Amino acid sequence: MKETVLDILTEIREDIDFENETKLVDDRLLSSLDIVTIVSKFNDEFDIEISVEDLEPENFNTVDAMVELITKAQE
Amino acid sequence: MAFTSFYFLIFALATVCVYYAIPIKWRWLVLLTASYAFYLISSPKTFVFVLFTTVITFFGGKKIGEYNTSYNDYMAIHKKEMSRDERKEAKAANQKKKRKIVALILILNFGILAVLKYFRYYLQAMGLFDTGTLLIPLGISFYTFQSAAYIIDLYRNKMDADTNIAKFALFTSFFSQIIQGPIPRHNQLAPQLYEGHKFDYHNLSFGAQLILWGFFKKLIIADRVAIPCSQIFDNYTDYSGLTAFMGFVFYTIQIYADFSGGIDIARGVSKCMGIDLSLNFCRPYFSDSLSEFWRRWHMSLSFWCRDYIFYPVAMSKFFGRVGTNLRKTLGNHVGQLFPIIIAQYATFITIGIWHGAEFKYIAYGLYNGTIIVMGLLLEPLFVKWLEKLHINRKSRGWKLFGIVRTFVVVSFGRAFPKAASFSVAISMIASVFRGGNGTPFAENMLNLGITEIDYLILLVGCVIWFVISLCEEKHMLKNGGDGTEGFRERLENRPLVLRWLILLAGFAMVLALGVYGPGYDASAFIYRGF
Repeated sequence: MKETVLDILTEIREDIDFENETKLVDDRLLSSLDIVTIVSKFNDEFDIEISVEDLEPENFNTVDAMVELITKAQE
Repeated sequence: MAFTSFYFLIFALATVCVYYAIPIKWRWLVLLTASYAFYLISSPKTFVFVLFTTVITFFGGKKIGEYNTSYNDYMAIHKKEMSRDERKEAKAANQKKKRKIVALILILNFGILAVLKYFRYYLQAMGLFDTGTLLIPLGISFYTFQSAAYIIDLYRNKMDADTNIAKFALFTSFFSQIIQGPIPRHNQLAPQLYEGHKFDYHNLSFGAQLILWGFFKKLIIADRVAIPCSQIFDNYTDYSGLTAFMGFVFYTIQIYADFSGGIDIARGVSKCMGIDLSLNFCRPYFSDSLSEFWRRWHMSLSFWCRDYIFYPVAMSKFFGRVGTNLRKTLGNHVGQLFPIIIAQYATFITIGIWHGAEFKYIAYGLYNGTIIVMGLLLEPLFVKWLEKLHINRKSRGWKLFGIVRTFVVVSFGRAFPKAASFSVAISMIASVFRGGNGTPFAENMLNLGITEIDYLILLVGCVIWFVISLCEEKHMLKNGGDGTEGFRERLENRPLVLRWLILLAGFAMVLALGVYGPGYDASAFIYRGF
């Protein structure tokens, strides 16, 4: 799953080193527009429903956090 | 009581002294007493409105908190044995119960804001309601928005409800931030207010530095540049070309120095007591696009709009479906962007209305929203052009071009909130492209109410500000975070004597070069009016 997530992220923002960044939101590397686009792609790709309540910085600061969010949404 | 008045300084100093004089356990009571005293001194006739918002938000929040607790307890026991659909159903049922309370509190709080701030003149004119004797409560936009954030976060089950009404009253009225923000979030500010902080020399020292820096920006830069700025805006028919454009630039400098100066004083006073208010500005004029500017300018309002307007609208199923249908007629790009475009406009219209009810404020929101939306729609075209022109978007030259372009775009946009009306703003913008009025530019500049010495002081002040900002920006690019450590660290690494000399020089500059003339109004912080 992590590889698919990385592919999606790189497709949206190829200028970010997603594997090594740990504060993607806190350091304002990802904008709100990026987040909405990412969530939309995640929802389509993994057939899940990430809601507004899930849009917390800690869920998008790292790739691992995003994988965890998707896993929770799939449960 | 204005932040730059002598009385406020005495008030803040007394509060800090009493805060540290009594046991840690009771220190929040000092803050509550100071906050209510501050409000009663500053705006006694409107105190009842803050009380009303506090009481209804507290009890509404408490009820929502009870629903959340019973839902969370139930889910903790039964979650594993429930199917995905059953979990969805349980969540939806809980949301439904909370929705009525949330709607009621939001309608009441925003209703008061709407009647007192926006519709008072219309209601009065139509004879429906006598609003003539009602004053606008101090900080109403700030405490209404922070109360709304509290209620919505509870609705979203993101935190626990407050259980002590006296403590919650402190959260909604904290004297340091109620006048002009930042708009705090409960989980960020409330714990800091409620727990007592031990005396810490570094907090006191850094707080005092922030206050001094706020005074520097407000009294040396903002209040000085306000003079030529008002001259141009008040007599806009006399100016055109570059001089008219300088009016926009002056206001762009004034509003930043004024607003961020006020925020620095608020953050400094809080810091003296170990309380960190959120950062409201992250060097916005270093932004290389308008959307980045709005992530760095008045951040607490921008983030509020992002969390409670942009995200819900952009992620709404309805707009998503409309976007999907539009793909067939307008293409994939526009269809995909449709919910985001609607969300951008909703956000910027809210930001516009937040400043006031007049059309010029809505136009300000539409101006910013339209430029950002056009940027999104035309992005594929820009990419093609840049490739054809062999322009590297990551180059320093392109970044610098982006910064200058954004500054100019922002400066033109300032015409809307500052001008007397929408038509005046349009007339002023048009006059920039009409060319000069025949008088040499330098002569025009020297007839705007300030002397060459004042321009020199402004230049020195802005250069000092720029150098400090550059240190912070470089620190942020290198280490992440917000960069505010950048200058402070450099200062702390200097010998003690030099450090004190720099601070004393700053203090002397504020005393000697601050604008304190007979026409000076100490209460005139621009954002206090919002």
